[in-house]
Amino acid sequence: MDPAGQTRRSFVYRRLAEAGAVFGAVADVALAVHYGDPDAELETARRLGLADLSVLPRVGFKGAGAAKWLAAQGVSLPEVNGAAAQPDGALAARLGPDEVLLLGGLDGAAGLVGRLDEAWAEASTVEPRGYPVPRRETHAWFVVTGAQAADMFAKLCAVDLRPQSFANHRIAQTSVARANAIVIRADLAGTLAYHLLVDSATADYYLPVLLDAMSEFTGGLVGHQALQALLQ
Amino acid sequence: MKVMRCPLNGERNISEFTCLGEVSEPPAPDGASDEAWAAHLWNSNNTAGVVREWWCHVPTSYWFIAERNTVTDEILRTYAAAELFAKGNNE
Amino acid sequence: MTGASARGGANRIAGGSQVDYGKPLGFEFEGRRYEGLAGDSIASALAANGVWLLSRSFKYHRPRGVLTMAGHDGNTLVRVGNEPNVRADRHPISEGLAVKGQNYRGSLEKDRDAWLGRVSRFLPVGFYYRAFYKPKWAWQRLWEPWFRKSAGLGEADLAAAHGYFDKAFGHYDVAVIGGGPAGMSAAAFAAKAGANVVLIGESPVLGGALNYARFDVERAGAAKTRGELAADLEKSPNLTIMTYAACTGWFADNWLSVVRGERLHKIRAREVILATGAVGQPAQFRNNDLPGIMLGSAAQRLIRLYGVRPGRTAVVVTANDDGYGAALDLLDAGVTVAALVDLRPESGTAPCEDAVRERGLTVFNGYGVSEAVPVRGNRHVSGVRIAKIGERGAVGDGGQTIPCDLLCVCNGGMPAYQLALQAGGRLGYDDGRSVFSITGLGGHLHLAGAVNGALSLEAALADGRRAAWRAVQALGIGGVTEPVALADPTVQRMRPHPIATHPRGMDFVDFDEDLQVKDILNAVAEGYNEVELVKRFSTVGMGPSQGRHSALPTARLVARATGRTVGEVGVTTARPPVSGEKLGVLAGRGFEPERHTAMHHRHLEAGAQMMTAGLWWRPAFYGPRARRADAIREEIAAVRENVGMIDVSTLGGLDIRGPGAAEFMNRIYTFAYVKQQVGRARYVLMTNEAGAIIDDGIACRLSEDHYYVTATTGGVDRVYLMMLWWNAQWRLDVDITNVTAAYAAVNVAGPQSRALLAPLTEGIDLSGEAFPYMGVREGLLAGIPARIFRVGFVGELGFEVHVPTSMGEALWDAVTGAGTEFGLRPFGVEAQRVLRLEKGHIIVGQDTDAMTTPEEADMTWAIAKRKPFFVGKRSIEMRGRRLSKRKLVGFTLDADGPLPEESNLVLRRGEIVGFVTSVARSAALAKTIGLAYTARDASEPGAAIRIRLSSGGDVNGVVVAPHFYDPENKRQEM
Repeated sequence: MDPAGQTRRSFVYRRLAEAGAVFGAVADVALAVHYGDPDAELETARRLGLADLSVLPRVGFKGAGAAKWLAAQGVSLPEVNGAAAQPDGALAARLGPDEVLLLGGLDGAAGLVGRLDEAWAEASTVEPRGYPVPRRETHAWFVVTGAQAADMFAKLCAVDLRPQSFANHRIAQTSVARANAIVIRADLAGTLAYHLLVDSATADYYLPVLLDAMSEFTGGLVGHQALQALLQ
Repeated sequence: MKVMRCPLNGERNISEFTCLGEVSEPPAPDGASDEAWAAHLWNSNNTAGVVREWWCHVPTSYWFIAERNTVTDEILRTYAAAELFAKGNNE
Repeated sequence: MTGASARGGANRIAGGSQVDYGKPLGFEFEGRRYEGLAGDSIASALAANGVWLLSRSFKYHRPRGVLTMAGHDGNTLVRVGNEPNVRADRHPISEGLAVKGQNYRGSLEKDRDAWLGRVSRFLPVGFYYRAFYKPKWAWQRLWEPWFRKSAGLGEADLAAAHGYFDKAFGHYDVAVIGGGPAGMSAAAFAAKAGANVVLIGESPVLGGALNYARFDVERAGAAKTRGELAADLEKSPNLTIMTYAACTGWFADNWLSVVRGERLHKIRAREVILATGAVGQPAQFRNNDLPGIMLGSAAQRLIRLYGVRPGRTAVVVTANDDGYGAALDLLDAGVTVAALVDLRPESGTAPCEDAVRERGLTVFNGYGVSEAVPVRGNRHVSGVRIAKIGERGAVGDGGQTIPCDLLCVCNGGMPAYQLALQAGGRLGYDDGRSVFSITGLGGHLHLAGAVNGALSLEAALADGRRAAWRAVQALGIGGVTEPVALADPTVQRMRPHPIATHPRGMDFVDFDEDLQVKDILNAVAEGYNEVELVKRFSTVGMGPSQGRHSALPTARLVARATGRTVGEVGVTTARPPVSGEKLGVLAGRGFEPERHTAMHHRHLEAGAQMMTAGLWWRPAFYGPRARRADAIREEIAAVRENVGMIDVSTLGGLDIRGPGAAEFMNRIYTFAYVKQQVGRARYVLMTNEAGAIIDDGIACRLSEDHYYVTATTGGVDRVYLMMLWWNAQWRLDVDITNVTAAYAAVNVAGPQSRALLAPLTEGIDLSGEAFPYMGVREGLLAGIPARIFRVGFVGELGFEVHVPTSMGEALWDAVTGAGTEFGLRPFGVEAQRVLRLEKGHIIVGQDTDAMTTPEEADMTWAIAKRKPFFVGKRSIEMRGRRLSKRKLVGFTLDADGPLPEESNLVLRRGEIVGFVTSVARSAALAKTIGLAYTARDASEPGAAIRIRLSSGGDVNGVVVAPHFYDPENKRQEM
C-alpha cells in the first residue's frame, strides 16, 4: 500500500518509508505495519521502540460544557492531566477542566471517536457542549514504548517521566526537545509506553530527534504489528 | 533554574512560562484623562516587594496570576485568573 | 612497596590502586613515545617517565609541572588531538594517545619566549592598560597580535569536526556533591532512610582522601572505612553514583549542572548536600612555581593512586599534621626525605609525628621556605632555602639550603566553597585560628565534611550522617533516628606559611595568570583596595583554577596592605562554572525546532529554495539559486497572466466560537464584526493598547457563533496568547483555539484559476455570481473537505483553499495535476512579496514598526469608530488628535535607476524623515515601486522623495498612491 496514493498521509510517511517501512491498511488508513522483521521489532518495542500513529483517529473537545457533555455521552473522565481508558480501547486524556483529547484504539476503528464526532454534529441541544478540535490534524501522534523509554525522554524533557514518579495514565503538557508536546503515559499490556503528541508541523523535526535520542539505547522504529503483539 | 507551580500543570521549570508584568487596573478608557491613560500604558510601578503578575504556561497557553516578591524572587502563590476577574466583566 | 616495576616508566613503584600493572599503554607527548599503565592520567604517566615539565606559563613562559594531581590547577593544560586545554592530571591515557604542550614558541623544552620571565619587571600588573595605547595605530597592528600570540592558552582548531555532545535531565530527592568520606557517608545514610539519592564525585573512583591520604601510621583505617562505605552504598537500591563527574554550578531551587564526559546533566534535587572538601593551598616564596614543587597531597596521589615515585630527595614543608603523613608515604615509596619543615614552633602529638621521628627524620620547627633554587632554565627544583620564622611572622633572611628534587607543600586547606557561595552562603575566616566557616545557606542545602570544617576522618563521617539526617527530615521521611554529633576531636593546630616576598619576585600568588606578590600589592597601591577591584585590575583568579589557590593569598595580601583581617576582606563572588566546561557540552545536541507544511517535501522535489519565517520553512522561489531573478519574474508573470499556486499553510488559523464570538471579535479587532454575514470574509486589523498595528488577516464567519480567523505567520502565537489573556479578563462566553497546524492551505491565483479549480470542486459553484469576492464556501475539492475563500492578496482572481493538514499533500498533488494543461506554476514568497506590493498591501512587521498607527498606514477604513471599545481605541483617538510627523506612502522610481534596499533612509534637506519598508522592480508597471515612511507634509501624491542608497548616493522619486496595479481591483473581483 503506497501512502503517497492516499488522501490522508502521515506527516512523516517519507521518513518512515526511507527507514524501510512496509505500509499496510489498518482500518481505512495506511500505517507502517512493519520494517521487515516484526519479531525483532517486538523485542525493540520492549526495549525502546517508536511508532507513528498519526493517521489514526482522534479528536478533541474543549470549551464551556465539554466535560459535562462527554460524561453524558458515557465517556469516563479522569482528573485534569490524567487519562482514562475507554471500553473500546480509546483513551480519554483530560488536558484541562473543559478540555479532553480522545485517542482512538490501535485497531484504527472509528469507535468512540467517530461516534462522538457524529453525536456532537447532530446534537440539537442548546446546552453548552464544548467545541470539537481537529486533533487528528493539529497534532502528530507518536508512541514511545519499552523499558528504556523514560531514559530516552530524560534527554529531551525536563519533567520527571520515570515510571516510579510518573504513574500510568498521567499526562505532562510540557516542552520536549524545545517544542510544545503532550506526553501521556499509557502502558501497553505491562510494557512502559508514552503517547507523544506534537504540533503536526513539527513532526518532521521530531522524528529524527527522537531516533537520535534513542540510538544510545539501540532503540528504533517499530511497526504497528509489533505494537499489536505487545498487547497480546 | 527556578521552579514555578502552574495552577493547571503543577511544578515546572520556569523556562516553560512567560511573564506579562504586573496585574494593573486600567483606568476607564472613556473617562480617563490623556495623562492617566498614557501613564497606564507606559509607566510601571517597579515595586520592591510583593507584586501580582500575569504568567502564562506556554505549552498549554494557560494564563494565571502569581504573587512574587521582587526583592527575594520568591514566588509566594499562584492561582487561576478567575479569582480576580468575574465572569462577563466588561473592560 | 619500594622497588621499581618493570613496566610503565622508570619511576614506577608498586601499590598504585588505580593503575593496572598488567596493561602497559604506549602514548606520545611532544612527539616522543612513552609507556604508561592503564588507569594512568597523562600527568601520572609522564611523571612515571621522569617528565615533569607539562606546560609554559601564561605570561612569562615559565616551566610548570604537576601541582595538585587533582585537576584543580592550570599547570597541566595540554592539547589532546584537536582539543586544547585538557587537564593532564585528569585525562586518562590510552594506546596511541597523542599529547602536545601549549603556549610555547619552538618547543616546550626550549621555549623561545622564556626570556619574558627575565623582563617581568617591565610588565607590571595592569601594564596593558597604560603602556600600549600610544601611538594609536600600534595596539591593533602590533601589540594586540603579539600579545594574543604569546599570552594565553591553547588554540582552538577551527577545522575540528563537531563532536557529539548531549544533555540529560535528572531528578532526585537528595544530591550529594563530593565522593569523599563525608559525601559517601551522607549518601549511604540518606539512601538507607529511603530517599532517592545521587552521589556525584569528580574522581574516577569514590573515596576521596581515603584513597591517598595517611590517616594513621599503619594505613589500615582508611582502607577499612572505604570498604565499609562502599559496601553500604552498594546495598542501596535507590542510589545513583556518578563518578568522574563535575558539578559546575548551583542554580535556583537546587538545579545543578553536572558535566560527565560529553554529557551535561541538569539535575534537580529537593535537598543538596555539599561535601566538596577542602582545596590544598600552595605557599608563596621565590620560585614557588618550579616543577618538582607540589602539594603534599599531589605527591601522595602519585604514590598511592598511580604507583609513581614523585622524586628522589624530598623536603616537606607543613603547616599542620598533614606533612607527617606525607613524609611517611614518601619514605615508604623509597624517597629520601631530607628535611621536614614544620611552620609551627612546636609540633603536636599526632601519631604520624612519632613515627616520623622514630624513622630519624630531621624536623625543623618554626621554619619556613624563603626561596626555592632552580636548575638551569628553571626546569626543576634543585634545592630549598629555609629559614627561621621571625617575631613578626615572616621568614627570615639567611638560613640554609637543602638540596632536593621534590618539595611537598602541606599548607592547609581552604573549603571548596564555590558551590556553597553560589547558593548564597558567606565565607567567614577566623584569622587567629586560621579556621574557615560557611554560613547563611538557605534551607534544602547542607554542608558536610571538610567544607564544613570537619577535618578529621571521624568528624567528616559523622558530619555526613548529620547532613543527610537533616536532608531526610526536610523531605518528610519520618522514623529516622538522629545520628550523634561528633565534635571534631582535635581541632588541629595550624600555622599557614607566611607570604615570603622576595626582592627579585617570582613569588607567585596566581600561577594561571603569572601574578606575583608585588602585583597584588601594586594593585592595592593603585587604589584597588577591595578584592573585587584587585581581581578586575590584576585578573587574579580569572584563570582555569578560578581562584582555588589564589583567593586566600590575595585576601591575606589585601588584608595586610589595608590593615584589615582576612575575614573582613573576603573572597570574590563565586559564579558558575566551578571548573571549565566545553562549549560543546553547553551547546549539547542543538534542538532547533522547525515547522514544515504538509507540502514541504513537494517543494523540495520541485527544486524550491527554502527560507525561514519564524520556525516555518517556506519556498522563496523555485529553481536553482543562479536563476533567482528569472525564476521570480516567471512566477510573477504566471500569476498575472495565467495561474500560479502558493503554499500558504503557514498562515495562522484561529477558531473563535461561542455565543460571545462576535462581541469578542469586536473587542479584539478594529473593524466591525457583529453584522458580518455568515459565508463572508472580512479584513481584520489588530492594534495593541498603544494603538499600533500588530497583526492582520481575514475573518470568515462560518456560522452565527463561529469565526475562523487567519493571522500572520509570525504573529499567530502571540495573537493567540493575547486573545486568551484578554478573555481571561473579559470572561466572555467564547472558546479560542489555535488551529494553525490543523489546516494546509494554498492560494491559487491568476486569470485561469477559476477554470483550473472548477472541475475539481464538488458542491461549490465558483462562478463570480455564485461566489463573489470575499465569499467563503465549504465543500469538496478533489474529494478533500475544503474551505475556500475568495480573497486577493496578490490582486488577481484567486481562491484560498484550506484543507486538513494530513490531506495537504494530496491537495497539492491534485491541483498540480489538474494545472498541467493551464501551465500552472508554483510560486514562492519572493514573487508573492512583489505581487502584493504592486497592490499596495502592507505586511505587518515589514511595512509597520512598533509605532505605526492605522492612520499612518492609511488604514482608517478598517476602523469602526462607532464601536464603544476595541483594544487600542483610546490610544488611536489620542494619537489622532496629535498626528505624528510621518506617513507611509507609495513611491515610484525610474525602472532603470538604482534599486534601493529595505531600510534605506528617506531624506529631506539632509534630515532623516523616514525609511523604505518595501521595494521591488515591477515588470507589470515598468517601474521601481515601493513603500516608505516620509514626512507627513510631503506625503501627498506628486511630492518628491529622496532615498539615500546603501552605496551612499541618492535617488529621487515621486510619491504616489500605493495602489500601483489595477487600482480599481477589477482583476481580483472578476
